[in-house]
Amino acid sequence: MKSSLGRKLINAPYLLWAALFILIPLIIVAYYAFTDTQGNFSFEYIVKIGEYKEVLIRSLVYAAVATAITLVMAYPVAYYMSRSKVSTQKMMMLLVMLPMWMNLLIRTYSWTTILEKTGLINSFLDIFGIGPLKIIGTSGAVILGMVYNYVPYMILPIYTVMTKIDNSLLEAAEDLGSNGFSKLKRVILPLSLPGVISGITMVFVPSISTFYISQKLGGPQTQMIGDIIQKRFDALSYNMGASLSFVMMIVILISLAIMNRFSDDDGGIIV
Amino acid sequence: MKEKKIVVELKNIGISFDGEQILDDLNLEIRDGEFVTFLGPSGCGKTTTLRIIGGFTQPDTGEVIIDGKNMNGAPPYKRQVNTIFQRYALFPHLNVFENVAFGLRVNKVDSKEIEKRVTAMLESVNLSGFEKRQVHSLSGGQQQRVAIARALVNNPTILLLDEPLGALDLKLRKDMQNELKNIQQQLGITFIFVTHDQEEALSMSDTVVVMNEGRIQQIGTPEDIYNEPKNAFVADFIGESNILDGIMREDRLVEMFGHKFDCVDIGFGKNEPVDVVVRPEDIDVVEPEKGQLSGTVSSITFKGVHYEIIVDINDFKWMIQSTDSPAVGDVIGISIPPQDIHIMKKSEYSGMFGDYSTFSDEMELIGDTEITGEDET
Repeated sequence: MKSSLGRKLINAPYLLWAALFILIPLIIVAYYAFTDTQGNFSFEYIVKIGEYKEVLIRSLVYAAVATAITLVMAYPVAYYMSRSKVSTQKMMMLLVMLPMWMNLLIRTYSWTTILEKTGLINSFLDIFGIGPLKIIGTSGAVILGMVYNYVPYMILPIYTVMTKIDNSLLEAAEDLGSNGFSKLKRVILPLSLPGVISGITMVFVPSISTFYISQKLGGPQTQMIGDIIQKRFDALSYNMGASLSFVMMIVILISLAIMNRFSDDDGGIIV
Repeated sequence: MKEKKIVVELKNIGISFDGEQILDDLNLEIRDGEFVTFLGPSGCGKTTTLRIIGGFTQPDTGEVIIDGKNMNGAPPYKRQVNTIFQRYALFPHLNVFENVAFGLRVNKVDSKEIEKRVTAMLESVNLSGFEKRQVHSLSGGQQQRVAIARALVNNPTILLLDEPLGALDLKLRKDMQNELKNIQQQLGITFIFVTHDQEEALSMSDTVVVMNEGRIQQIGTPEDIYNEPKNAFVADFIGESNILDGIMREDRLVEMFGHKFDCVDIGFGKNEPVDVVVRPEDIDVVEPEKGQLSGTVSSITFKGVHYEIIVDINDFKWMIQSTDSPAVGDVIGISIPPQDIHIMKKSEYSGMFGDYSTFSDEMELIGDTEITGEDET
């Protein structure tokens, strides 16, 4: 009895925090999403979301593409790291984490100086008389920004799971006739799946709700749902902002539920 | 016994890790159908030798020849060899059936054939009905059987076993020893077994390879190794032994502590200093005046089958295993039959082993548990 009381007390600060800053705001979001400007219950703004269908789909596609690219980039890195000497692992971990020491806004802003019309790339191409290329404002630039910012969140969970794969399992696979590819397919991939699921979750969720990156590196054609939400709130259109937020939460929840179907029981982030 | 063909040959194998010499000019031949055991203390290089045969480690120097073919540089999947790993290394994401089927699936065996062979193999290791079970839900002994089945279903010509019984409790270990020995005899395949447990090595093997410090100390049948140890290390590592300084006065006569003993060894130089091995169970306890030597009992421990007596003779502590039970402080005589005195050439290990002055049960315990967590590279 005493210990369970103690356990409750330990949890109390977080429960309080969660109630105050997660649960109550969610209720407020739902309240604004389902009311009109007078505070009457209404589907007015939920229905209006149809106007933003294109942006919603674009956000989904961008996030999916960015997630897929980070996965392809991160997986070999995570594998290589996990099989390296401890000193190499630490060094590589540092390199992966290093960009995260800098603020996301600054990181993204510095990309504009590389990609813009008079930026590094175009100045370089200018020497050969090529260009200038239009890079900023394209969907490619936005996805690049997302990949750059979120790739560590893909590497870390995959790496963590991979370090737990005992080397003797890989040796056993080789012993039983597996060459490199079959070892990857039959042992490494299935055993690292929980890390992949976590990584996808940790990249997909911030990607789909990205707003700053698409503003700095994109243009009007690459607006994402996060940008719209920000603008609605800036324009004090709380009901529209809240209903967009609400729908996006639903979209994310559905995406995560689909993801979790791929992981068995013990891996991934359970929603 | 007819000489069978050599299936594994190691020639001048040398390897070092981080500047430390692990194996030093190792030469070995293993014959078809043989049960060979690499026996030695932690860090002696036995696991490394096994891994070199399996292809998990490549030697710096020397040749690995399997079935007459040079296998230097060949990865494990190109060798007709299967391994049972120290902690089984079963695939946690696969059930029992799929674990056993792994090698067959990799080699694209027809799925009906797989079904048939895996089922038969599971039956032969008494695991019928466990097909759908997850491996982590099995006991240690059952996991061990899955590991055996997973290796044997591929019909290897050689099976490598890296301390496979180390994680099992004593009773189960004895059962599995018998079972492995039976499997080996039924299938007639070559077993190469690594252990630090000398009793296990003696009771299971056709041939024991005793290793220490990266070198083979002795190769022989279990009887040879026990009865005719080549040097003080082997004598000490295999069973209990009193190892004494002696001088070979002439053929069949050795002098220890100023007393001449009859023995059966010949071929040593006149007055050559030698190591003399006397097994504790071969010493007879007699009246002080009737003994070849006599001394004071300094401790006695009841061991069940016999008493373990430590007797101090001329400052050398002898261990005697006897059904007699003198009291501590008693003066007893000892008598050693000539055939139980074994003479060895002096070696680098002379003087390092064989006196029981520092002996205690605690030491024995440390010696036994030291290796369980062994992780040789």
